[in-house]
Amino acid sequence: MKNAMKRERKGQPLATDVNPTWCPGCPDHMIFESARRAVLSLMKQGYKRENFAMVSGIGCHGKIFDYLNLSGIYGLHGRAIPTAIGMKIGNPNLKVIAFTGDGDTYSEGMEHFIHACRFNPNMTLLVNDNQSFSLTTGQATPTSQQGWKTKTEPLGDFNKPLNPLMLALSAGATFVARCNARDIEHTQKIIEEAVKHNGFSYVEIIQDCLIFNPEALKRDKMIYKLTDKKRTFDEAMNLAKEFDYNLKDGKIPIGIFYKTERKTLEEEWPQLNNLIKKNISWKDLKK
Amino acid sequence: MVMLNILVGGRAGQGINKVSEIISNVLIKYGYYVFNYRDYPSIIRGGHNFNVLSISDKLIGSHESKVDFVLALDKNTVDVHKNDLKKGGAVITSDEFSKFGLNANVALSAALIKILGIDKKVLFDEVKKEIKDSGSLDAAEAGYNSQTIKFNLKKLNNNAKILDGNTAVAVGARNSKIDIYFSYPMTPTTNCLQELASNQIEDNLLAFQPEGEISAVNMALGASFAGAKVMVGTSGGGFDLMVEALSLQGMSEIPLVVYLGSRGGPSTGLPTYTMQGDLDDALRAGHGEFPRIVIAPGSPAECIEKTNEAFYLSEKFGALSIVLSDKHLAESEFSYDSKINTPLKVQVKRNVPGEKGFVAKASSYEHDEYGLSTEDAKITKENADNRMKKYSEIQKECKKFEMIKIHGKKDSKNLIIGWGSTKGAILDAIEGQDYKFLQVLYMKPLSDEIKKEMLKAKKIILVENNLTGQLGKIIREKTGLKIENRILKYDGRPFTSDELKEKLEEIK
Ligand SMILES: Cc1ncc(C[n+]2csc(CCOP(=O)(O)OP(=O)(O)O)c2C)c(N)n1
Repeated sequence: MKNAMKRERKGQPLATDVNPTWCPGCPDHMIFESARRAVLSLMKQGYKRENFAMVSGIGCHGKIFDYLNLSGIYGLHGRAIPTAIGMKIGNPNLKVIAFTGDGDTYSEGMEHFIHACRFNPNMTLLVNDNQSFSLTTGQATPTSQQGWKTKTEPLGDFNKPLNPLMLALSAGATFVARCNARDIEHTQKIIEEAVKHNGFSYVEIIQDCLIFNPEALKRDKMIYKLTDKKRTFDEAMNLAKEFDYNLKDGKIPIGIFYKTERKTLEEEWPQLNNLIKKNISWKDLKK
Repeated sequence: MVMLNILVGGRAGQGINKVSEIISNVLIKYGYYVFNYRDYPSIIRGGHNFNVLSISDKLIGSHESKVDFVLALDKNTVDVHKNDLKKGGAVITSDEFSKFGLNANVALSAALIKILGIDKKVLFDEVKKEIKDSGSLDAAEAGYNSQTIKFNLKKLNNNAKILDGNTAVAVGARNSKIDIYFSYPMTPTTNCLQELASNQIEDNLLAFQPEGEISAVNMALGASFAGAKVMVGTSGGGFDLMVEALSLQGMSEIPLVVYLGSRGGPSTGLPTYTMQGDLDDALRAGHGEFPRIVIAPGSPAECIEKTNEAFYLSEKFGALSIVLSDKHLAESEFSYDSKINTPLKVQVKRNVPGEKGFVAKASSYEHDEYGLSTEDAKITKENADNRMKKYSEIQKECKKFEMIKIHGKKDSKNLIIGWGSTKGAILDAIEGQDYKFLQVLYMKPLSDEIKKEMLKAKKIILVENNLTGQLGKIIREKTGLKIENRILKYDGRPFTSDELKEKLEEIK
């Protein structure tokens, strides 16, 4: 394995020299930019570049792995979360960010999502939610609007969409936020807050898929920003209920819904605490 | 020669394992060798469980189908097993010890110790060490006094140790300086997880039980990528769930060791019984073409050494190593007195995240040398060729290790071929007879020596604990030689030495 630092794009730190293949205008470009700026900003605040590691799932969203120049694993569809948790157990001093999609996290890898909320590893999960399996050319995911007709579901998707924020809250997530992919500055700020959070930080990023689910475009006028105020669990739940993912009515709050502290997975394990205290990885541990 | 088989039976929860344990430990201290087979259904309380404990003054690795004693903790044991007694054999029940409650099993062990003619002090030392409950010594006293001496076993000078396959795999992993073991409980490998978990802080390792096997193996790859030495452990069903990630290992070349303990299949099958049915699965699981190493130890001592080799090879080549065992090897207790090879040093020399100035990328996609995705035809072909080249290097490196072992009469023309947990029964069955036994330890790569040995033989007999003779098929694929004589057993039970001896006679 050669050093991918050699593949850094000139004049654009943290980007590789690979040209993105996302569709023109796809919000994935913007999510990439928010993430890149967030890491750059964190580096200015003292975080070290080499301590960041990323994991991607498989889908359009996952292509960020080839464009963002951080160490990591381009993993399996649905399995980015366990891969990322493993990385944290393998070296608790890393700052791990998992980049995933709604098909990835809410369909194929749902069990990992719930258990990650329970385990509370100190890592960040981003879900690019375009309410569609897009890389496989547009089928309904658990968050797609009810009745959506696709080539594989010509009768329409019968199911009510899942509300992933309510699920994350009830499963014990300690940081729950939502962003709008097209608001690069706000998304950057939320990603920074998520990385700084000591615990499992989950950020749902709503985005449209211009090609397969353009209906999602309609929701722009429903979006509003939350204030920075600290909220109780019930207040956060009520806010989460404001949007049911059916894209018909209601309001879509974005920002940090809920933030609380609980012992992290790493803090529970004396072995990992020891590595954190000494600021070393298993590799450096004398046995 | 001393060779006694003692069946200990009762309901789950009555403590039959304690009986075997006390007798084994006492006999080991007295200089004898033991082998303990455990036969139990998937039931926590009740049902019918039994162990067959074999005792000998020579090294043994199996039990016999007929027994000298039945130690019965319930009536059912007597009914089910009275026909298993040899001529002159005896049944001892715990009826008269019922007043000792849960210590009835101690009394039963003591009764047998007396029959064997072993010094009371050795027994009492053992009971004191094993059971803190004060009633246990009274039970031992009563049990000991209830019998008269029938055998006058002399104290011998051997100094064996007892070990089961699961613990041995854990020892092998610790010898390799394992950092993290990821496992979701599944018989027959659960005890390996227990063993590694039990002392994890002092041992400087971490035993993690995630939400399932898919998670376990993906976590393991994540942790390994971050620089830790990892292993996952499971059985057939869990292994099948891991398969997609094995293929990810092949593409990403992140080191991974898998401990696969098979049981009776297909599907949930016979959860607590044994079968060598998963060899094909271990050799082939995972889509696409990529190298791997599959090693099948045949005894706990080999489990220690081969697990270490699995770690070494996996780390050295960024390869998948599978340690293949089964319920019979994983959960039976073997005595051994051989020396274990000094463990190979397993060193992580790869670039990992956290290194200043280095960006390390591993990918599930076909990728260039920087880890960035590509669909280029030329790179695709080169990468595939490199994976083959890596396998050739693995083959070369494996020649440094014992890929096969030759046992029995070295110049015999009658060649038995087998692998894994059948080793014990085969060795015991051919003791003193005109057979050579070729034990295959490396299932992949397969040793070139196998063909040479086959060409030297007049009669070749394949022994496997499965339906289709899976090793026979891979040998034929590799050598072009078909083995005509096959002794296959697939009822979930391991071979006993006498049964195997008879089957071998029939072929001769
Ligand atoms: C095990 C497995 N099943 C199916 C696929 C095919 N597949 C590739 S991407 C994808 C859907 C991705 O959807 P999502 O995670 O929402 O990402 P998006 O493309 O919308 O960004 C699927 C089903 C796969 N790669 N692996």
